[in-house]
Amino acid sequence: MIEANLRTSGILLAGVAGGVAAGMFGVGGGIVIIPALVLLCGFDQHRAQGTSLVALVPPSGLLGLWEYSRVGCVSWRVGLVLMPGLFFGAILGGRLAQKLRSRPMRQVFAVLMFSIGVWESFSAWRR
Amino acid sequence: MLIEGILIGLAAGVLVGLLGIGGGTVLVPALVYFLHMDQHLAQGTSLFVLIPPLGLGALVVYWRRRNVDLAAGILSAVGILLGADMGGRLAVHTNSRDLQGFFGLFMMLAAVILWRKAATQAPLPAGRDND
Repeated sequence: MIEANLRTSGILLAGVAGGVAAGMFGVGGGIVIIPALVLLCGFDQHRAQGTSLVALVPPSGLLGLWEYSRVGCVSWRVGLVLMPGLFFGAILGGRLAQKLRSRPMRQVFAVLMFSIGVWESFSAWRR
Repeated sequence: MLIEGILIGLAAGVLVGLLGIGGGTVLVPALVYFLHMDQHLAQGTSLFVLIPPLGLGALVVYWRRRNVDLAAGILSAVGILLGADMGGRLAVHTNSRDLQGFFGLFMMLAAVILWRKAATQAPLPAGRDND
């Protein structure tokens, strides 16, 4: 019973942490939730990824979006254009994930992300 | 703008389904560098794009393989709802330059997590090569 409660609060806290990242950086939060489920709650990788997709089905970032739209920081038109590609791309990626060896791909993507991160920070704080 | 938008969305979507990570990590830098948005506008637009359940198609693929814990997912969603408001408030009170710098740091951290996840992957049941 106590263990179940602990697990429940752990998942909720992982969600809050993911949410702060979502609002602060305009991302989905999966990058925080997936490792939390795997490392803290003992989920396997596929199960964690599928569960993270559930968390992103309801409009979880709505309150974060509200904060941005109040100060005019949303391009609604570009947003609408991005949606169809994202929807179909996600199905394609989900199927690929069941077929491909995703470990080396993950590592390639991690290197790419790290480089973009360095570039972002550098170009922001150089001056 | 139309073609670029659809292509950026498609690329981000493939990564959403493939890696189970948020499309925003890809969308935000793409909007900044290809569509020349400022950091706040890119982040706000990314949050808007993530409002409809665009991962639903990918979710079905995972669901068929019984790789979904519904209760844990709903619980995480409640957490995100609460956290995203806090994060949004923090972001709008940060200037665009610092926000871009912090976004860069976040990307580096996320990359390290992604790499570690790839490196420490537990062996899978027989017959499944992917993770």
